[in-house]
Amino acid sequence: MMSAVAFGQTAYKVARTSDGKPDLQGIWIARNTASFDVTEIAEDPTIPYLPEALEREAKADRVDPIAHCAMPGVPRITYMPFPFEIMQRPGYVVLLYEYLHNHRVIQTTPREHAEGIDLFLGDSIARYEGDTLVIDVTNLGNRTWLDSARHMHSDQLHVVERYTRTAPDRMLYEATLEDPQTYSKPWKIRMTLHRINEPGFELKEQECVEGDDGRAIHPLYRPASKS
Amino acid sequence: MMTIFLFMFLMAQAAAPQIIAPGVGNLADRGPKIDMNKAKAFNPPRTEFGHPDLEGIWQPRASGAAFSVLPHSGGFFLGQGSETGIVEGGVLPYQAWAAEEVRYRREHVELDPTGHCHYEGIPHALYFTFQIFQTPTKIAFVHENMHAWRIVYLTGDHPKDYSAWMGDSRGRWEGNTLVVDVTNNSDKSVFDMAGHFHSDQLRVVERYTLQDANTLIWEATLTDPKVFTRPVKMRFPLVRAPKDFAIMESGCFEDERDQAHLKGAALPANHYNEEHEKEKK
Repeated sequence: MMSAVAFGQTAYKVARTSDGKPDLQGIWIARNTASFDVTEIAEDPTIPYLPEALEREAKADRVDPIAHCAMPGVPRITYMPFPFEIMQRPGYVVLLYEYLHNHRVIQTTPREHAEGIDLFLGDSIARYEGDTLVIDVTNLGNRTWLDSARHMHSDQLHVVERYTRTAPDRMLYEATLEDPQTYSKPWKIRMTLHRINEPGFELKEQECVEGDDGRAIHPLYRPASKS
Repeated sequence: MMTIFLFMFLMAQAAAPQIIAPGVGNLADRGPKIDMNKAKAFNPPRTEFGHPDLEGIWQPRASGAAFSVLPHSGGFFLGQGSETGIVEGGVLPYQAWAAEEVRYRREHVELDPTGHCHYEGIPHALYFTFQIFQTPTKIAFVHENMHAWRIVYLTGDHPKDYSAWMGDSRGRWEGNTLVVDVTNNSDKSVFDMAGHFHSDQLRVVERYTLQDANTLIWEATLTDPKVFTRPVKMRFPLVRAPKDFAIMESGCFEDERDQAHLKGAALPANHYNEEHEKEKK
Protein backbone atom coordinates (compact mmCIF):
# COMPACT_ATOMS: atom_id res chain seq x y z
CA MET A 1 0.00 0.00 0.00
CA MET A 2 1.84 3.05 1.24
CA SER A 3 5.56 2.88 0.96
CA ALA A 4 7.72 5.28 2.93
CA VAL A 5 8.20 7.22 -0.29
CA ALA A 6 4.54 7.45 -1.24
CA PHE A 7 3.68 8.29 2.35
CA GLY A 8 5.77 11.43 2.55
CA GLN A 9 7.43 13.84 0.22
CA THR A 10 9.64 12.20 -2.33
CA ALA A 11 12.00 15.17 -2.34
CA TYR A 12 12.71 15.00 1.39
CA LYS A 13 16.21 13.99 2.28
CA VAL A 14 16.85 13.12 5.89
CA ALA A 15 19.75 14.87 7.61
CA ARG A 16 22.61 12.77 8.92
CA THR A 17 24.14 12.56 12.38
CA SER A 18 27.85 13.21 12.81
CA ASP A 19 28.48 9.49 12.40
CA GLY A 20 26.45 9.33 9.18
CA LYS A 21 23.19 7.81 10.43
CA PRO A 22 19.75 9.19 9.47
CA ASP A 23 19.06 11.86 12.09
CA LEU A 24 15.79 11.10 13.87
CA GLN A 25 16.51 13.25 16.91
CA GLY A 26 13.83 15.42 18.37
CA ILE A 27 10.55 15.20 20.25
CA TRP A 28 7.84 13.10 18.58
CA ILE A 29 4.25 12.23 19.31
CA ALA A 30 1.61 9.95 17.80
CA ARG A 31 -1.60 11.89 17.34
CA ASN A 32 -4.07 9.03 17.32
CA THR A 33 -6.05 6.89 19.72
CA ALA A 34 -4.38 3.57 18.97
CA SER A 35 -3.54 3.05 22.63
CA PHE A 36 -7.27 2.51 23.12
CA ASP A 37 -7.68 0.31 20.05
CA VAL A 38 -4.68 -0.73 17.99
CA THR A 39 -6.80 -1.74 15.00
CA GLU A 40 -7.03 1.98 14.24
CA ILE A 41 -3.49 1.79 12.86
CA ALA A 42 -3.45 -1.84 11.73
CA GLU A 43 -2.87 -2.46 8.03
CA ASP A 44 -5.76 -4.91 8.14
CA PRO A 45 -8.18 -4.04 10.96
CA THR A 46 -8.83 -7.75 11.52
CA ILE A 47 -5.99 -9.06 13.64
CA PRO A 48 -5.21 -12.62 12.50
CA TYR A 49 -5.88 -14.30 15.82
CA LEU A 50 -5.57 -18.03 16.23
CA PRO A 51 -8.79 -19.51 17.71
CA GLU A 52 -6.97 -20.65 20.85
CA ALA A 53 -5.56 -17.16 21.34
CA LEU A 54 -9.06 -15.67 21.21
CA GLU A 55 -10.12 -18.18 23.80
CA ARG A 56 -7.17 -17.26 25.98
CA GLU A 57 -8.03 -13.60 25.57
CA ALA A 58 -11.67 -14.14 26.54
CA LYS A 59 -10.57 -15.78 29.79
CA ALA A 60 -7.91 -13.24 30.62
CA ASP A 61 -7.95 -10.49 33.17
CA ARG A 62 -10.15 -7.50 32.40
CA VAL A 63 -7.98 -4.77 33.82
CA ASP A 64 -5.56 -3.06 31.49
CA PRO A 65 -2.10 -3.59 33.03
CA ILE A 66 -1.24 0.07 32.60
CA ALA A 67 -4.02 0.79 35.09
CA HIS A 68 -1.54 -0.51 37.66
CA CYS A 69 1.20 1.78 36.39
CA ALA A 70 2.94 -1.05 34.53
CA MET A 71 5.08 -0.26 31.50
CA PRO A 72 2.93 -0.46 28.37
CA GLY A 73 5.22 -2.69 26.30
CA VAL A 74 6.30 -2.34 22.68
CA PRO A 75 4.81 -1.17 20.31
CA ARG A 76 2.18 0.38 22.61
CA ILE A 77 4.66 2.76 24.26
CA THR A 78 5.13 4.44 20.87
CA TYR A 79 1.44 5.30 20.47
CA MET A 80 0.71 6.30 24.03
CA PRO A 81 -0.61 9.84 23.51
CA PHE A 82 2.43 11.53 25.05
CA PRO A 83 5.61 12.91 23.53
CA PHE A 84 8.90 11.07 23.51
CA GLU A 85 12.41 12.14 22.65
CA ILE A 86 14.88 10.34 20.42
CA MET A 87 18.61 10.82 21.02
CA GLN A 88 21.21 9.15 18.86
CA ARG A 89 24.80 8.58 19.93
CA PRO A 90 27.46 6.41 18.36
CA GLY A 91 26.48 2.87 19.29
CA TYR A 92 23.18 3.86 20.90
CA VAL A 93 19.65 5.00 20.27
CA VAL A 94 18.03 6.42 23.41
CA LEU A 95 14.26 6.73 23.63
CA LEU A 96 12.99 8.83 26.53
CA TYR A 97 9.23 8.69 26.97
CA GLU A 98 7.27 11.28 28.90
CA TYR A 99 4.68 8.58 29.63
CA LEU A 100 5.53 7.37 33.13
CA HIS A 101 9.23 8.06 32.61
CA ASN A 102 9.79 4.94 30.55
CA HIS A 103 13.06 4.69 28.69
CA ARG A 104 14.80 2.40 26.23
CA VAL A 105 18.57 2.44 25.90
CA ILE A 106 19.18 0.51 22.69
CA GLN A 107 22.54 -0.61 21.40
CA THR A 108 23.21 -0.56 17.66
CA THR A 109 26.00 -3.08 17.93
CA PRO A 110 24.83 -6.40 16.48
CA ARG A 111 24.32 -9.08 19.11
CA GLU A 112 22.04 -11.99 19.99
CA HIS A 113 18.83 -11.36 21.93
CA ALA A 114 18.87 -12.05 25.65
CA GLU A 115 17.75 -15.46 26.82
CA GLY A 116 15.57 -16.42 29.74
CA ILE A 117 14.36 -12.96 30.71
CA ASP A 118 11.06 -11.19 30.10
CA LEU A 119 10.97 -7.43 30.12
CA PHE A 120 7.98 -5.12 29.87
CA LEU A 121 9.67 -3.11 27.13
CA GLY A 122 11.48 -6.11 25.73
CA ASP A 123 15.04 -6.62 24.58
CA SER A 124 15.74 -4.20 21.75
CA ILE A 125 18.53 -4.27 19.18
CA ALA A 126 18.78 -1.42 16.69
CA ARG A 127 20.26 -1.20 13.21
CA TYR A 128 20.06 1.24 10.32
CA GLU A 129 18.80 0.23 6.88
CA GLY A 130 19.36 3.16 4.55
CA ASP A 131 17.25 6.02 5.92
CA THR A 132 15.38 3.77 8.32
CA LEU A 133 16.04 2.93 11.96
CA VAL A 134 15.05 -0.69 12.52
CA ILE A 135 14.57 -1.98 16.07
CA ASP A 136 14.17 -5.69 16.64
CA VAL A 137 12.33 -6.44 19.88
CA THR A 138 11.86 -9.78 21.64
CA ASN A 139 11.61 -10.97 25.28
CA LEU A 140 8.40 -8.94 25.70
CA GLY A 141 6.69 -11.39 28.03
CA ASN A 142 2.93 -11.84 27.96
CA ARG A 143 2.01 -9.27 30.56
CA THR A 144 1.43 -6.27 28.37
CA TRP A 145 -1.51 -5.48 26.12
CA LEU A 146 -1.40 -3.76 22.74
CA ASP A 147 -4.19 -1.37 23.79
CA SER A 148 -6.97 -0.84 26.33
CA ALA A 149 -9.26 -2.96 24.12
CA ARG A 150 -7.45 -6.06 25.41
CA HIS A 151 -5.64 -7.02 22.25
CA MET A 152 -3.03 -9.32 23.65
CA HIS A 153 0.02 -11.34 22.75
CA SER A 154 2.06 -14.19 24.15
CA ASP A 155 5.66 -14.20 25.32
CA GLN A 156 6.60 -15.30 21.79
CA LEU A 157 5.85 -11.82 20.40
CA HIS A 158 8.53 -10.53 18.08
CA VAL A 159 8.20 -6.90 17.01
CA VAL A 160 10.23 -5.27 14.26
CA GLU A 161 9.86 -1.50 14.41
CA ARG A 162 10.81 0.76 11.53
CA TYR A 163 11.26 4.52 11.95
CA THR A 164 11.61 6.54 8.72
CA ARG A 165 11.53 10.33 8.47
CA THR A 166 9.36 11.35 5.53
CA ALA A 167 9.29 15.13 6.00
CA PRO A 168 10.94 17.62 8.37
CA ASP A 169 8.15 17.15 10.91
CA ARG A 170 6.86 13.70 10.02
CA MET A 171 8.09 10.21 10.67
CA LEU A 172 6.58 6.99 9.42
CA TYR A 173 6.37 4.35 12.12
CA GLU A 174 5.76 0.79 11.01
CA ALA A 175 5.87 -2.35 13.09
CA THR A 176 5.47 -6.00 12.22
CA LEU A 177 4.08 -8.23 14.96
CA GLU A 178 4.84 -11.91 14.79
CA ASP A 179 3.65 -14.31 17.44
CA PRO A 180 3.09 -17.93 16.37
CA GLN A 181 1.21 -18.67 19.61
CA THR A 182 -1.28 -15.85 19.04
CA TYR A 183 -1.47 -14.83 15.38
CA SER A 184 -1.85 -17.03 12.30
CA LYS A 185 0.50 -14.77 10.37
CA PRO A 186 2.59 -11.65 10.98
CA TRP A 187 0.62 -8.40 10.80
CA LYS A 188 1.51 -4.77 10.53
CA ILE A 189 0.71 -1.43 12.10
CA ARG A 190 1.56 1.90 10.55
CA MET A 191 1.16 5.47 11.71
CA THR A 192 2.64 8.94 11.48
CA LEU A 193 4.72 10.39 14.27
CA HIS A 194 4.62 14.18 14.48
CA ARG A 195 7.61 16.25 15.48
CA ILE A 196 6.96 18.86 18.14
CA ASN A 197 8.69 22.06 17.09
CA GLU A 198 7.22 24.48 19.59
CA PRO A 199 10.21 26.57 20.78
CA GLY A 200 11.30 25.62 24.29
CA PHE A 201 9.13 22.50 24.38
CA GLU A 202 10.63 20.05 26.84
CA LEU A 203 9.46 16.71 28.17
CA LYS A 204 8.06 16.98 31.65
CA GLU A 205 8.06 14.55 34.52
CA GLN A 206 5.12 12.23 34.72
CA GLU A 207 4.45 9.87 37.57
CA CYS A 208 1.77 7.29 38.00
CA VAL A 209 -0.25 7.18 41.17
CA GLU A 210 -2.24 4.08 41.82
CA GLY A 211 -5.59 4.85 43.39
CA ASP A 212 -7.20 3.04 46.28
CA ASP A 213 -9.08 0.77 43.89
CA GLY A 214 -5.89 -0.21 42.17
CA ARG A 215 -6.59 1.85 39.07
CA ALA A 216 -4.00 4.29 37.94
CA ILE A 217 -4.73 7.94 38.37
CA HIS A 218 -2.80 9.41 35.53
CA PRO A 219 -1.82 13.00 35.93
CA LEU A 220 -3.47 15.53 33.73
CA TYR A 221 -1.46 16.00 30.64
CA ARG A 222 1.66 18.02 31.42
CA PRO A 223 0.52 19.22 34.82
CA ALA A 224 1.78 22.47 36.29
CA SER A 225 1.86 21.02 39.76
CA LYS A 226 2.36 23.19 42.78
CA SER A 227 3.57 21.45 45.88
CA MET B 1 7.17 -7.42 44.87
CA MET B 2 5.31 -5.88 47.76
CA THR B 3 6.52 -8.74 49.89
CA ILE B 4 10.06 -7.88 49.02
CA PHE B 5 9.56 -4.25 49.93
CA LEU B 6 7.81 -5.13 53.14
CA PHE B 7 10.81 -7.24 53.95
CA MET B 8 12.99 -4.26 53.14
CA PHE B 9 11.08 -2.05 55.53
CA LEU B 10 11.26 -4.55 58.35
CA MET B 11 14.94 -5.12 57.83
CA ALA B 12 15.53 -1.39 57.62
CA GLN B 13 13.78 -0.88 60.90
CA ALA B 14 15.69 -3.66 62.52
CA ALA B 15 18.89 -2.05 61.33
CA ALA B 16 17.94 1.60 61.93
CA PRO B 17 21.18 3.48 61.43
CA GLN B 18 23.19 4.23 64.49
CA ILE B 19 24.96 7.44 63.77
CA ILE B 20 28.58 7.19 64.75
CA ALA B 21 31.11 9.97 64.88
CA PRO B 22 33.35 10.31 61.82
CA GLY B 23 36.58 8.48 62.38
CA VAL B 24 35.08 6.03 64.82
CA GLY B 25 35.04 2.34 63.99
CA ASN B 26 36.94 0.45 61.35
CA LEU B 27 34.46 0.38 58.48
CA ALA B 28 36.22 0.71 55.18
CA ASP B 29 34.70 3.07 52.65
CA ARG B 30 35.18 1.51 49.26
CA GLY B 31 35.96 3.24 46.02
CA PRO B 32 38.75 5.38 44.64
CA LYS B 33 40.00 8.31 46.66
CA ILE B 34 38.88 11.69 45.39
CA ASP B 35 41.87 13.78 44.38
CA MET B 36 40.87 17.23 43.12
CA ASN B 37 44.43 18.09 42.09
CA LYS B 38 44.52 15.05 39.90
CA ALA B 39 41.14 16.02 38.45
CA LYS B 40 42.40 19.55 37.72
CA ALA B 41 45.43 18.18 35.91
CA PHE B 42 43.46 15.60 33.91
CA ASN B 43 42.76 16.47 30.29
CA PRO B 44 39.50 14.66 29.59
CA PRO B 45 38.57 13.13 26.25
CA ARG B 46 36.18 15.28 24.21
CA THR B 47 32.94 14.57 22.42
CA GLU B 48 32.81 15.29 18.68
CA PHE B 49 31.30 18.68 19.57
CA GLY B 50 34.14 19.56 21.93
CA HIS B 51 32.62 19.05 25.37
CA PRO B 52 34.39 16.98 28.03
CA ASP B 53 33.19 13.43 27.40
CA LEU B 54 31.38 12.05 30.45
CA GLU B 55 29.45 9.48 28.44
CA GLY B 56 29.28 5.95 29.74
CA ILE B 57 27.79 3.89 32.50
CA TRP B 58 28.80 5.07 35.97
CA GLN B 59 28.69 3.08 39.18
CA PRO B 60 28.64 5.22 42.29
CA ARG B 61 30.79 4.44 45.30
CA ALA B 62 28.42 6.30 47.57
CA SER B 63 29.29 4.83 50.96
CA GLY B 64 25.89 3.27 51.46
CA ALA B 65 24.15 6.64 51.02
CA ALA B 66 20.90 4.98 49.99
CA PHE B 67 20.79 3.72 53.55
CA SER B 68 22.04 6.92 55.14
CA VAL B 69 23.94 9.89 53.74
CA LEU B 70 25.57 10.28 57.16
CA PRO B 71 28.18 8.02 58.77
CA HIS B 72 26.45 4.80 59.72
CA SER B 73 27.14 1.26 60.74
CA GLY B 74 26.59 -1.55 58.28
CA GLY B 75 23.77 -4.00 58.01
CA PHE B 76 20.72 -4.63 55.90
CA PHE B 77 20.77 -5.42 52.21
CA LEU B 78 22.47 -2.19 51.19
CA GLY B 79 24.96 -3.48 53.53
CA GLN B 80 27.93 -1.33 53.70
CA GLY B 81 28.63 0.80 56.70
CA SER B 82 30.48 4.06 56.27
CA GLU B 83 32.75 6.06 58.53
CA THR B 84 32.23 9.15 56.50
CA GLY B 85 28.90 9.03 54.68
CA ILE B 86 28.75 11.44 51.77
CA VAL B 87 28.09 14.62 53.74
CA GLU B 88 31.04 16.88 54.51
CA GLY B 89 31.54 16.96 58.27
CA GLY B 90 29.19 14.04 58.77
CA VAL B 91 26.32 16.23 59.97
CA LEU B 92 23.14 17.55 58.37
CA PRO B 93 22.37 20.97 59.90
CA TYR B 94 18.64 20.49 60.40
CA GLN B 95 16.57 23.17 62.08
CA ALA B 96 15.09 21.97 65.38
CA TRP B 97 11.63 21.15 63.98
CA ALA B 98 13.19 19.34 61.03
CA ALA B 99 15.44 17.23 63.29
CA GLU B 100 12.25 16.14 65.04
CA GLU B 101 10.74 15.24 61.66
CA VAL B 102 13.83 13.18 60.81
CA ARG B 103 13.40 11.20 64.03
CA TYR B 104 9.73 10.58 63.19
CA ARG B 105 10.53 9.42 59.67
CA ARG B 106 13.29 7.14 60.90
CA GLU B 107 10.70 5.35 62.97
CA HIS B 108 8.35 5.15 59.99
CA VAL B 109 10.42 3.66 57.25
CA GLU B 110 7.22 2.60 55.51
CA LEU B 111 6.87 6.25 54.50
CA ASP B 112 10.02 6.01 52.38
CA PRO B 113 8.73 6.80 48.87
CA THR B 114 11.34 4.60 47.18
CA GLY B 115 9.76 1.63 48.95
CA HIS B 116 6.69 2.46 46.91
CA CYS B 117 8.71 2.72 43.72
CA HIS B 118 8.56 6.48 43.46
CA TYR B 119 11.30 8.51 41.88
CA GLU B 120 14.32 8.97 44.11
CA GLY B 121 15.14 12.55 43.16
CA ILE B 122 18.54 14.21 43.16
CA PRO B 123 20.89 13.28 44.77
CA HIS B 124 19.23 9.97 45.77
CA ALA B 125 19.00 8.63 42.19
CA LEU B 126 22.77 9.00 41.82
CA TYR B 127 23.55 6.37 44.47
CA PHE B 128 22.72 3.74 41.82
CA THR B 129 24.18 2.96 38.40
CA PHE B 130 23.23 5.27 35.57
CA GLN B 131 24.30 6.12 32.02
CA ILE B 132 25.14 9.54 30.58
CA PHE B 133 24.43 10.56 26.96
CA GLN B 134 25.58 13.96 25.72
CA THR B 135 24.46 16.23 22.91
CA PRO B 136 25.52 19.84 22.30
CA THR B 137 22.40 21.18 24.05
CA LYS B 138 21.26 18.52 26.48
CA ILE B 139 22.64 15.69 28.57
CA ALA B 140 20.52 12.66 29.41
CA PHE B 141 20.96 10.76 32.65
CA VAL B 142 19.30 7.38 32.30
CA HIS B 143 18.85 5.54 35.58
CA GLU B 144 18.18 1.85 35.88
CA ASN B 145 16.57 2.13 39.29
CA MET B 146 12.87 3.16 39.16
CA HIS B 147 13.34 3.42 35.37
CA ALA B 148 13.95 7.11 35.87
CA TRP B 149 15.58 9.52 33.50
CA ARG B 150 16.49 13.17 33.66
CA ILE B 151 17.51 15.61 30.98
CA VAL B 152 20.01 18.29 31.96
CA TYR B 153 19.40 21.19 29.59
CA LEU B 154 22.36 23.36 28.67
CA THR B 155 19.84 25.97 27.51
CA GLY B 156 16.80 27.74 28.93
CA ASP B 157 15.68 28.67 32.41
CA HIS B 158 14.01 26.83 35.25
CA PRO B 159 10.26 26.70 34.60
CA LYS B 160 7.77 28.45 36.83
CA ASP B 161 4.98 26.58 38.62
CA TYR B 162 6.62 23.23 38.07
CA SER B 163 7.50 20.73 40.73
CA ALA B 164 9.08 17.36 40.05
CA TRP B 165 10.56 14.45 41.98
CA MET B 166 13.67 14.75 39.79
CA GLY B 167 13.55 18.56 39.78
CA ASP B 168 14.46 20.74 36.83
CA SER B 169 18.08 20.62 35.76
CA ARG B 170 19.96 23.38 33.91
CA GLY B 171 23.61 22.73 33.23
CA ARG B 172 26.69 24.54 32.00
CA TRP B 173 30.33 23.69 31.44
CA GLU B 174 32.84 25.39 33.72
CA GLY B 175 36.13 24.32 32.21
CA ASN B 176 36.08 20.54 32.36
CA THR B 177 33.35 20.43 34.99
CA LEU B 178 29.67 19.98 34.27
CA VAL B 179 27.75 22.18 36.71
CA VAL B 180 24.06 21.37 37.08
CA ASP B 181 21.59 23.58 38.93
CA VAL B 182 18.66 21.47 40.15
CA THR B 183 15.60 23.38 41.34
CA ASN B 184 11.82 22.83 41.22
CA ASN B 185 12.33 19.86 43.54
CA SER B 186 9.31 18.23 45.04
CA ASP B 187 9.29 17.88 48.84
CA LYS B 188 8.24 14.25 48.35
CA SER B 189 11.66 12.82 47.49
CA VAL B 190 14.11 12.06 50.29
CA PHE B 191 17.89 11.76 50.68
CA ASP B 192 17.98 8.21 52.04
CA MET B 193 16.15 5.59 54.10
CA ALA B 194 17.25 7.11 57.39
CA GLY B 195 14.62 9.83 57.50
CA HIS B 196 16.77 12.59 56.00
CA PHE B 197 14.37 14.78 54.05
CA HIS B 198 14.19 18.16 52.37
CA SER B 199 11.56 20.72 51.46
CA ASP B 200 10.42 22.07 48.10
CA GLN B 201 13.01 24.82 48.62
CA LEU B 202 15.85 22.36 48.05
CA ARG B 203 18.36 23.51 45.50
CA VAL B 204 21.18 21.20 44.48
CA VAL B 205 24.17 22.52 42.56
CA GLU B 206 26.02 19.49 41.25
CA ARG B 207 29.54 19.37 39.84
CA TYR B 208 30.69 16.45 37.68
CA THR B 209 34.45 16.25 37.01
CA LEU B 210 36.52 13.42 35.56
CA GLN B 211 39.48 12.56 37.78
CA ASP B 212 40.81 10.10 35.23
CA ALA B 213 39.29 8.20 32.30
CA ASN B 214 37.47 5.81 34.61
CA THR B 215 36.69 7.93 37.66
CA LEU B 216 34.02 10.61 37.87
CA ILE B 217 33.76 12.92 40.87
CA TRP B 218 30.33 14.08 41.98
CA GLU B 219 30.18 17.05 44.32
CA ALA B 220 27.16 19.03 45.33
CA THR B 221 26.13 21.98 47.41
CA LEU B 222 22.62 21.72 48.78
CA THR B 223 20.66 24.64 50.14
CA ASP B 224 17.23 24.40 51.72
CA PRO B 225 16.33 27.40 53.90
CA LYS B 226 13.17 25.67 55.12
CA VAL B 227 14.97 22.75 56.79
CA PHE B 228 18.74 23.48 57.00
CA THR B 229 20.51 26.20 58.95
CA ARG B 230 23.33 26.41 56.39
CA PRO B 231 24.36 24.94 53.02
CA VAL B 232 25.39 21.27 52.95
CA LYS B 233 28.17 19.74 50.87
CA MET B 234 28.14 16.18 49.59
CA ARG B 235 30.50 14.23 47.37
CA PHE B 236 31.42 10.74 46.24
CA PRO B 237 33.32 9.11 43.38
CA LEU B 238 31.88 6.98 40.59
CA VAL B 239 33.70 4.36 38.57
CA ARG B 240 33.19 3.41 34.94
CA ALA B 241 31.23 0.17 34.60
CA PRO B 242 32.80 -2.88 32.95
CA LYS B 243 32.43 -3.04 29.16
CA ASP B 244 29.65 -5.64 29.08
CA PHE B 245 27.41 -3.58 31.36
CA ALA B 246 24.02 -2.34 30.15
CA ILE B 247 21.23 -0.32 31.72
CA MET B 248 18.39 -2.81 32.04
CA GLU B 249 14.73 -2.53 32.88
CA SER B 250 13.62 -1.97 36.45
CA GLY B 251 9.98 -2.98 36.79
CA CYS B 252 9.27 -1.04 39.96
CA PHE B 253 5.98 0.74 39.46
CA GLU B 254 4.84 3.69 41.52
CA ASP B 255 2.71 3.48 44.55
CA GLU B 256 2.59 -0.26 44.70
CA ARG B 257 0.39 -0.42 47.76
CA ASP B 258 -2.35 -2.87 47.01
CA GLN B 259 -1.18 -6.38 46.54
CA ALA B 260 -4.81 -7.56 46.64
CA HIS B 261 -5.50 -5.92 43.30
CA LEU B 262 -2.38 -7.37 41.78
CA LYS B 263 -3.15 -10.95 42.74
CA GLY B 264 -4.46 -13.01 39.86
CA ALA B 265 -4.01 -10.20 37.39
CA ALA B 266 -1.74 -10.28 34.38
CA LEU B 267 0.68 -8.24 36.36
CA PRO B 268 4.25 -7.97 37.39
CA ALA B 269 3.70 -8.64 41.05
CA ASN B 270 2.72 -12.24 40.43
CA HIS B 271 5.67 -12.78 38.24
CA TYR B 272 8.11 -11.54 40.83
CA ASN B 273 6.38 -13.39 43.61
CA GLU B 274 6.51 -16.60 41.61
CA GLU B 275 10.18 -16.06 40.93
CA HIS B 276 10.74 -15.23 44.56
CA GLU B 277 8.93 -18.40 45.65
CA LYS B 278 11.01 -20.43 43.22
CA GLU B 279 14.20 -18.94 44.59
CA LYS B 280 13.19 -19.83 48.11
CA LYS B 281 12.73 -23.52 47.20
